Amino acid sequence: MRTAKLSKHYGPVRALDQLDLEVAAGEVFGFLGPNGAGKSTTIRLLLGLAQPTAGTAHLFDVPAADVASAHRHLAYVPADVALWPQLTGAEILELLARTGPGTDRDYQAELVDRFALDVNKPARTYSTGNRQKVALIAAFATRARLLILDEPTSGLDPLMEREFRTAVREARDRGQSVFLSSHQLAEVEAVCDRVAILRAGRLAEVATVSDLRRLHRTEIEVSFTGELPDLETMPGVDTVETVAPGHIRFSLAGPPGPALWALVSADIATLSVREPSLEEIFLAYYGEAIR
Amino acid sequence: MTAVHAEPTAPVVTDEPARSARAVTALTVRQVRRAAVLVTALAAAMSALVAATHASTIGNAAQAESLTALAANPAIRTLFGEPTNLADPGGFTVWRTGIFLAVLIGAWSLLVTTRVTRGEEDAGRVDLLLAGPLPARHLLQRQLAVLLTAAAAAGAAATAALLASGTDPAGAAVHGTGLALTGMFFAATGALAAQIFPARSGATGSAVAVLAAGLMLRMVGDGADALGWIRWLTPFGLTGLTRPYDTNRWLPLLVLAASTAAMTAAAVFAGRRDVRGGWLNPAPGRPPRLALLDSVPAFALRRMLRPLAGWAAGIGAYFLLVGLIAQSMITFLADNPHFANLASQAGFAGLDAVEGYAASLFALLALPVGGFAAARITAFFADETGGRLTLLCAGPRTRRWAAGAEILVTAGGAVVLVLVAGAATAAGATLSGAPLSVAESLAGAVNVLPVALLSLGAAVLALGVAPRLMGWISAVPGIGGFLLLVTADSVNAPHWVAQLSPFAHLARVPAESPHLTAAAVMLLVGSTAVFVGLTTYGRRDLAA
Ligand SMILES: Nc1ncnc2c1ncn2[C@@H]1O[C@H](COP(=O)(O)OP(=O)(O)OP(=O)(O)O)[C@@H](O)[C@H]1O
Ligand SMILES: [Mg+2]
Repeated sequence: MRTAKLSKHYGPVRALDQLDLEVAAGEVFGFLGPNGAGKSTTIRLLLGLAQPTAGTAHLFDVPAADVASAHRHLAYVPADVALWPQLTGAEILELLARTGPGTDRDYQAELVDRFALDVNKPARTYSTGNRQKVALIAAFATRARLLILDEPTSGLDPLMEREFRTAVREARDRGQSVFLSSHQLAEVEAVCDRVAILRAGRLAEVATVSDLRRLHRTEIEVSFTGELPDLETMPGVDTVETVAPGHIRFSLAGPPGPALWALVSADIATLSVREPSLEEIFLAYYGEAIR
Repeated sequence: MTAVHAEPTAPVVTDEPARSARAVTALTVRQVRRAAVLVTALAAAMSALVAATHASTIGNAAQAESLTALAANPAIRTLFGEPTNLADPGGFTVWRTGIFLAVLIGAWSLLVTTRVTRGEEDAGRVDLLLAGPLPARHLLQRQLAVLLTAAAAAGAAATAALLASGTDPAGAAVHGTGLALTGMFFAATGALAAQIFPARSGATGSAVAVLAAGLMLRMVGDGADALGWIRWLTPFGLTGLTRPYDTNRWLPLLVLAASTAAMTAAAVFAGRRDVRGGWLNPAPGRPPRLALLDSVPAFALRRMLRPLAGWAAGIGAYFLLVGLIAQSMITFLADNPHFANLASQAGFAGLDAVEGYAASLFALLALPVGGFAAARITAFFADETGGRLTLLCAGPRTRRWAAGAEILVTAGGAVVLVLVAGAATAAGATLSGAPLSVAESLAGAVNVLPVALLSLGAAVLALGVAPRLMGWISAVPGIGGFLLLVTADSVNAPHWVAQLSPFAHLARVPAESPHLTAAAVMLLVGSTAVFVGLTTYGRRDLAA
């Protein structure tokens, strides 16, 4: 899947502005961003449900607009799943399996079990989470090469969320790619290889989860018995503060080697290194958006 | 409990519920006002127009006398209602427009009522409204107040137009009140159905069935003297029993008012239920029915079958009745040839032979069949805005193809309805001994198919180009064309005005052979509209 300068404007609103993105086969790709960042808009453009104002999107080297061929290898779970109220879950799964890109019926039955869905109820009686389960089961049970999931777990309870993560890993093991738009950082951290962060319609960052952390400052706390070396002038070291006599805290970007060498001479008593959580990174991006 | 400081720190918000109630009223007004204005204007314009042209249509008292005799025939009464005082412009207007306006106002009232009540609830918007300080039953009461007022306004407009035309005030008042109460009755029926059924389709379907049954009862009551009392059971019969511009009876209006009040009270009472629930909730679980789920066209067929059965039942019953009274009609007209002349002047030409009679009635068939087609495309767009199409559109097919399947299946449904009408007429004619063959009957019915397909084309065009205006655009060929023709005839408009109506180009099959050129042109226009609509539909963004 790749996009080039993909843009969508709704009148003066730039819902999506010049997005360049590439997702490789077999990758689990997280797509993060605050409300209204343009995640769902991107997905609608990828699916050909909306036409881009400018730019192009390709799925499996087929233009996204050629939905008849592009959708032959793709399954989708929308952000809010709407189902035909009079059809039961089983009937909807049957319809989606028969009209979709090819379904593994045994795996579908297994998923129905694992997600604990009562498929004999009409969709009218389903809760938000149950509707989402129907769409998730239908998508995971396909043999599609790409699964596009738009906030698929917003209505799931923690138990089902765990099933969801297992299903994503199984999909990856089968070689399927997953494009996962989400607000749940723990989920993205747990299942994604790479993430993109979208902010106000523009791409803010694309990186692997670990790179993303590395790009950000590590917080180091040291207590020592010897002389405090001059850390302030070292490259990458910032905001050295003294917590107590013989106990400092500083933040570090880049490789930690030089700073640690300097500290060795000060006789380190304790050392703690804390990586920022994805949430903090995320909030940093969000914060910039607010500012 | 901890102690609470008694001194008021903030202004007490006692008028909060009142304010939100006003907001609900304003919202309901916004939801209905455009169509309400149109229906009201139509009621006024038709009444004024027909009253004003009375003198040119009915030349003198003798002619009116003859027309009265004609209208005394049971078959004529079955179809067009019992005429009262045709020598009076008001009485003539009531006969020509009364039933049409009563059905129009009644049908609109019930459709708009189920839309703003159950439709909004289905869409989940009512939950938000009710999260405010407004109790659920007040919501329904507020909505009903607006809807009943809108129906009443349409009736009042007819009265005003007839008064302005200088007709007898008492007759104008009785007629307008009858129309208003009919509209209000069906608004209340729609509201009650919306409480009973947990989905808009069921509510609308059952309320429409009540309306259709009411019309049937009126036809039977008007046609068969022995069963005249049946008219007391239906709003359409009761308005006829008032005999405006003749005896001006108020008793039937009182009965109608009482039934409307009872229906309204029942709706409000039935409103004590869960939001998004109903009194007839389907079973919470059932084994899967997997038929017709294997492809998009099959699924389109599956969704169509139930509504198609409803439309077929209504249309079939009406045309069975048409066939049953055919013999009595043509015998009467053959015995009294000058009546047939008069009938043609009043807009019902060629009624003296069974073929002409059947042709006149088949022309009407284009309206319900076109309405069916437009309703299916409307439902398709509702699936789109409701997000139900999204999952199907994510499948390996173009949206144009999915919509094309829906259109083809709908066109198939229209063909079925036309055949049902033809077969029902033939069955009725055979039972009554009228000389109308099955082939003639089917030919007459199939002849109107191009007009119905024009309605389908208009709906598809709207789907692509302006889906929010689909209701209006799809009504142009059918209802618009019909009204245009009737109006142009009534006011002696220039020839080309009437020619704009597709109905002007319908051959009177089986009395004449079909106008193949006209049919081909209509099919061409219809297919062009479908093509443009589909092309645009494939390019525009999916709503929802
Ligand atoms: N049909 C539309 N018309 C006008 N503006 C739109 C339309 N659809 C989306 N937008 C705007 O585009 C922007 C991006 O919306 P989008 O739904 O893609 O956000 P999102 O990232 O999915 O947000 P969320 O996390 O809340 O789902 C928003 O500002 C939204 O208001
Ligand atoms: Mg979204």
